[in-house]
Amino acid sequence: MRTSPFRIGLVGLAGIIPGMLVAVVLFLAIYSWPAIHFNGIGFLFRETWNLGNLYADPVTRRGVQVPIGAQYGILVFIVGTLATSAIALLIAVPVSLGVAIFLAEGAPPRLRPTLSLIVELLAVVPSVVYGLWGVAVLVPLIAHYIAPALDDVLGFIPFFAGGSPTGFGLLSSSLVLTLMVVPIITATVYSALLQVPRPDKEAAYALGAMKFEVAVRAMLPMVRGSIVGAIILGLGRALGETMAVLMVSGGAINHLPGTITSPISTMASFIVSQLDSAEQDPTGMAVRSLAEIALVLFIITVIVNVIARLITRGLHVGLTSRA
Amino acid sequence: MQTRSSETLLRRTFLLGTLGGTSLGLISLVPRRAAAAEVTLLETGSSLLYPLFNLWVPKYTAMHPGVRITTQSTGSGTGIAQAISGVAQIGASDAYMSSAQLKKDPGILNIPLAISAQTVNYNVPGLNNANLKLSGPVLAGIYSGKIRHWNDPAIAKINPGVTLPSQGIVPIHRTDGSGDTFIFSQYLAASDSDWADNVGYGTTLSWPPVQGGIGAIGNPGMVQACGQTPGSLAYIGVSYAAQITKAGLGTALLQNRAGNFVLPNPTTVGAAVAALEDKTPADQRISLIFAPGENSYPIINYEYAIVNSRQASSDIAAAVRDFLTWAVDPAGGSTPEFLGVVHFLSLPEKIAALSKAQIAKIH
Repeated sequence: MRTSPFRIGLVGLAGIIPGMLVAVVLFLAIYSWPAIHFNGIGFLFRETWNLGNLYADPVTRRGVQVPIGAQYGILVFIVGTLATSAIALLIAVPVSLGVAIFLAEGAPPRLRPTLSLIVELLAVVPSVVYGLWGVAVLVPLIAHYIAPALDDVLGFIPFFAGGSPTGFGLLSSSLVLTLMVVPIITATVYSALLQVPRPDKEAAYALGAMKFEVAVRAMLPMVRGSIVGAIILGLGRALGETMAVLMVSGGAINHLPGTITSPISTMASFIVSQLDSAEQDPTGMAVRSLAEIALVLFIITVIVNVIARLITRGLHVGLTSRA
Repeated sequence: MQTRSSETLLRRTFLLGTLGGTSLGLISLVPRRAAAAEVTLLETGSSLLYPLFNLWVPKYTAMHPGVRITTQSTGSGTGIAQAISGVAQIGASDAYMSSAQLKKDPGILNIPLAISAQTVNYNVPGLNNANLKLSGPVLAGIYSGKIRHWNDPAIAKINPGVTLPSQGIVPIHRTDGSGDTFIFSQYLAASDSDWADNVGYGTTLSWPPVQGGIGAIGNPGMVQACGQTPGSLAYIGVSYAAQITKAGLGTALLQNRAGNFVLPNPTTVGAAVAALEDKTPADQRISLIFAPGENSYPIINYEYAIVNSRQASSDIAAAVRDFLTWAVDPAGGSTPEFLGVVHFLSLPEKIAALSKAQIAKIH
C-alpha cells in the first residue's frame, strides 16, 4: 500500500465526517449521562415535563442534586415529532413525485430550468420565513376554514373532529413541514429522473405505454433508490426542524395530542424553547435532560434510517427475485 | 452506480444536518471567555429590556466615543448565563437570580435599572373596550383548566352587570423562557394557594394541561395569537402597549392585594413600588408582585442588569460602571425620554441609590 501525501490527505479529509459524528454523539452521551442515570427509561414514557422549582434550594434524589419537583418525561415530544413528520411525508411524497415527474417529462423543455430553479429556491428558504408565513397565513386559514371543513367531512372520525379555535397545532406544523420537505424530495427525484437512459424510455414507448405509464411503470422503479434517499432526506429535515415548528405548534406541554388540530411540541423545538430557562437551573440537570432529548432524537433518526435502508433492500430483493 | 454513490452522500449529509440541528442549541453551553480587547461591551438577554438598551446605547456612546456597546435580545435566562460565563458584560433579565444560583456564583450582582409592569389582555368580541375584571384565583382557574368559559360564575361574580358570552376560553402561555411568565406565575402563586402548591412560578412552567390552551413565542407572538383567536387570554409586557391597542385587545383590571381592581398606569405602578421600596434589600432581589396598598397594581417588577462584580479588566469594569450609573441616573438615562417609550417607570430615588451602591462594587 502506497502512502502518498495525496492518499494521506484524502483519508484525513474523509475522516472528518465520521469524526464529527462520533464527536457529537460522544459529547451528547457524556454530557447527558447524569440525566440518563437520573431519568431512567421512564424518560421516554412519561408525559410530564417539569423543571421543578428553580428558586428553591435543590434537593438530593437518587444521589444527585435536582430542583424540587423536577420531573423529565418526553413522550409528548416524541409523539409530536413522529406525528408531524409522518403527516408531512404522507402529503409531501405524492406531491413531490408528481412535481418531479412533471418537471422531467411533462413540462415544456424551455420552462424546465426556470421551474426547477424555483423548486431549488424553495428548498433554501430559511425556516423562520416558513414559520412567519405559517403564523400569519396558515394558522388563521386552519382555524377558520380547514379545521371546520375537516370536522364537517371527516368529523365521524374522532381524530378529525372538533375543529380548532386557534389553528396552532399538529396540522399547522405538519403543513409547514410539508412545504419545507416538498422541494427537497422534488429536487432529488427530479435529478434522478433526468438520468434515466433514453433507450429505456423509448423501449417502454415502443411497447405501447402511455406517457403516464412510462413515468410510473418504467421510470419511477428505476430511480427507486433515489426516491427512498430523497424521502429520508426530507424526513431528516422534518424530524430536526426547529424554528418553523416552534412558531406554529402551539407549544404543548404535559398532554398528548388528541386530534389533528391539538397543540403539540416536537423534540427539536422543545429543546430550543426550554434552553433559556434550563440555564437557570443551578443543578444543571435541566440542560443535561435537554441534551438527553437531543441524544434520543439522534437515536430515532438512526433507527428511521436503518428501517428505510431495510425497506430499500427488501424492495430490491423482491424485484430481482421476480425477474 | 452514479445514483448509488450520490445517494449515500445524501444520507450522510442528512445525518450531519440532523446532528447539527440537534446540537446547535447546546453550543452555547460551552463556557467561553471574552477576549479583553479595547472597551467593547456586550449586553444580552431580556427582550423586554432590549428596546430600552437600543435607546440608551446610541445616546451614551455618542457622549463616550471610546466605548462600544453591542446589544442582543436573547432571553433573560441566556442573559444571566452569559453574564456568569463572561461572554456578556451585562446580562439583561426580567427576573432576579435565585439564591441557589447565587450560591453557585456568589460574585454576580442583580442591579435594577427600571420598573416594568405586565397587562393581562383578552380577545372577547364585544367586550374588548370594557376592561373586564380578573383576579389571581380566576386566572389560576383559567390556566389550570377549571374555568373553561367566559360566562363561568367565577368570572360573572366579579363582573356584575356585564353580559358575558358562553365562548370557550383559550389561555395562551409563553412557550419560550420568559420573565413575563415568571412575574405572571408569581402573581398567581401569591394570590392562589392551589397554584402555589401545584404549579409554582418560574420563567417556564410545567403548565397544567388545558384543553385548547396554546403556547406562543415572545411578546409579539402573544399579541398576534391573542389578536387572531376569539376567546383567548394572554399576559403581555407593558412595553407592547401600542401593539396591544393596534390588535384591538381588551386589557383587564386586575385585583390587587387590597381587593381593588386596577389598570397599570404611573399612579398604580408607582403606588406598588412605594409599598415595597423600604423592603428592598441591599442585593435588591425582591418580588414586587401583589404589593399591598389600595391602589397598587399587582404585576410589576424590577428590570435587572445581571453583572459579574469581577470583570476581565479594570478598563472594562470602569466602562460598565460608568454606563450603568448613567442609565439609572435621573440626569442620564432614567428619564421619560427613554423610559416613556417602553412604558417603564424610573427607579425611586432610594432604589436608584441602592443600584448605584451595587454598581460601585464592579471591579
